[in-house]
Amino acid sequence: MIKTGEKVLLKGNHALAKAALNAGCKCYFGYPITPQNEIGEYLSVEMPKMGRSFLQAESEVAAINMLLGAAATGTRAMTSSSSLAIALMQEGISYIAADNIPAVVISVMRAGPALGYIFPSQGDYFQTVKGGGNGDYKTLTLAPSTVQEMIDYTYKAFHLAHKYRTIVFLLADGMLGQMMEPAVLYDYPYEDIDNSDWALDGAKGRPGRWIGSIHRTETALEQKTLALFEKYDKIKQNEIEYETMFADDAELLITAFGSVARIAKAAVKRAREAGMKVGLFRPISLWPFPTQELNECAKGKKVVLDIEMNMGQMVEDVKIAVNGESKVEFFGRPAGYYFTPEEIYTQIEKTMEGLK
Amino acid sequence: METLVFQKPSRIKKDCKVTFCPGCDHGVAIRIIAELLDELGIADKTIVVSSIGCSVFLNDYYDLDIVEAPHGRALAVATGVKRAKPDKFVFTYQGDGDFASIGLGESMHALSRGEKVTAICINNTNYGMTGGQMAPTTILGQKTTTTINGRDAEVQGYPIKICEMAAVCDGAAFVARCSLDSSKEIENTKKMIKRAFESQINGLGASVVEILSICPTNWRLSPQESHERVRRELYPVYPLGIYKDKANK
Repeated sequence: MIKTGEKVLLKGNHALAKAALNAGCKCYFGYPITPQNEIGEYLSVEMPKMGRSFLQAESEVAAINMLLGAAATGTRAMTSSSSLAIALMQEGISYIAADNIPAVVISVMRAGPALGYIFPSQGDYFQTVKGGGNGDYKTLTLAPSTVQEMIDYTYKAFHLAHKYRTIVFLLADGMLGQMMEPAVLYDYPYEDIDNSDWALDGAKGRPGRWIGSIHRTETALEQKTLALFEKYDKIKQNEIEYETMFADDAELLITAFGSVARIAKAAVKRAREAGMKVGLFRPISLWPFPTQELNECAKGKKVVLDIEMNMGQMVEDVKIAVNGESKVEFFGRPAGYYFTPEEIYTQIEKTMEGLK
Repeated sequence: METLVFQKPSRIKKDCKVTFCPGCDHGVAIRIIAELLDELGIADKTIVVSSIGCSVFLNDYYDLDIVEAPHGRALAVATGVKRAKPDKFVFTYQGDGDFASIGLGESMHALSRGEKVTAICINNTNYGMTGGQMAPTTILGQKTTTTINGRDAEVQGYPIKICEMAAVCDGAAFVARCSLDSSKEIENTKKMIKRAFESQINGLGASVVEILSICPTNWRLSPQESHERVRRELYPVYPLGIYKDKANK
């Protein structure tokens, strides 16, 4: 067992799993898929020792619905999966969102479309942020970029899920899941959130509670969705998170999330050393997206260069945010190889050249 | 002196309006379950999993904690509830399409794991809510809106036999098929559900009660004719009885 506060070498998936245990995750339901298997394997050993429930489900469809059941009781619970298997969970995700119940979904992206392969990818930005399930709902999404942040944002994911009774995604990728680097595990920093006014625990001495999504009148259904979006407005007001680097005086502003943001940082530093006015804007909450914040940041920039390990997904939200304050260019490549800092540096040079 | 001879079970909502079709067996099943929750004294710790189909409206009738499962996933949701709250009493209320078609995987795996939950499966041999289409349990020759010439084994294959399949799962503790076609069978169904509930309470494993039920609207028969059809056509294909009982081995 790792002592709290000790800096140790940790694999991303293990760091995340340890953080989930510290966050009080009582139930885990999942089905094997690379590149996130270490999460389930680790929890299958540790959770029974702690009197908690680890269950390997028969499918991702079953796993997300087991999560729904545990979430309906207010229990801290999660699943983890990847890409094509997250696709299988989308119906359950829509139900959990509609039900106003707290659940954490860890998505360690691999390369698609379809089976693709186990290479890192950011090809599931749309799948996560725009949702693949039916109807009007949102999934609060946090995108870590280091092993340390796998811990930090796993904690935050559990906190926000229970604070807002909503589904929260931690959107990582195969690189973050598989890499090892020093990180500090610390105690779960958030307070417990009381759920006694809504969770199902047997209707003893009170009227029965119903958690469900069916509403048989137009009015009831509309009110339900409007209430859901009132909650989403609160999340937008309170939970937008982003990071900037050398952004103030930059002529070229890079936008990137997750592991690509981390690679871009190295390229930005090198460009600064070479005298180029380059900065970085990294959305950490992908939904809610830092639309207003990016709009402000983009003012006066000559170009916003969006870089992603896909064929252009977040760039759509970047364009909406920038809203004409600057031109927006996209540099990406589909999953297979991840970017090197050199590759991004070369693109920075090329883009700066184009500004002359 | 007045003697109370009949009253609603405590967890049937006082003001509930029954919206099932006239003659439907759902109301009977819902009532006898509520009676048993009172008799066994477990209503206070019960969490119900409703499903998709006519069974989705449980919250209109029950004053209980209820969670709605997506179509076919009732036993996965029940698994999540029970794993999170092992001290609660958990049952699903599903149709045959939910249990044995779209949800067959979840059903068989929950039974094989021996999840300490009970599944009540209302088998009316068609999809009632959507207008009477072919179900996994539609018998050969039965006309439905998607088998207008009758189910043909060459084309649609054979009906799925829920209890026979459930009984081979090692984790299943109690498996029984019953019917609601007469007061005698209603009494027997109540006994079967009670034994299923008791097997969960005693921690023996998963339990299933398949209840042959009528769908007069989609069968295009009167309730009386429908119950006659259960005896005449369904009994031979779906024999009543206990298929597995770990408590009395």
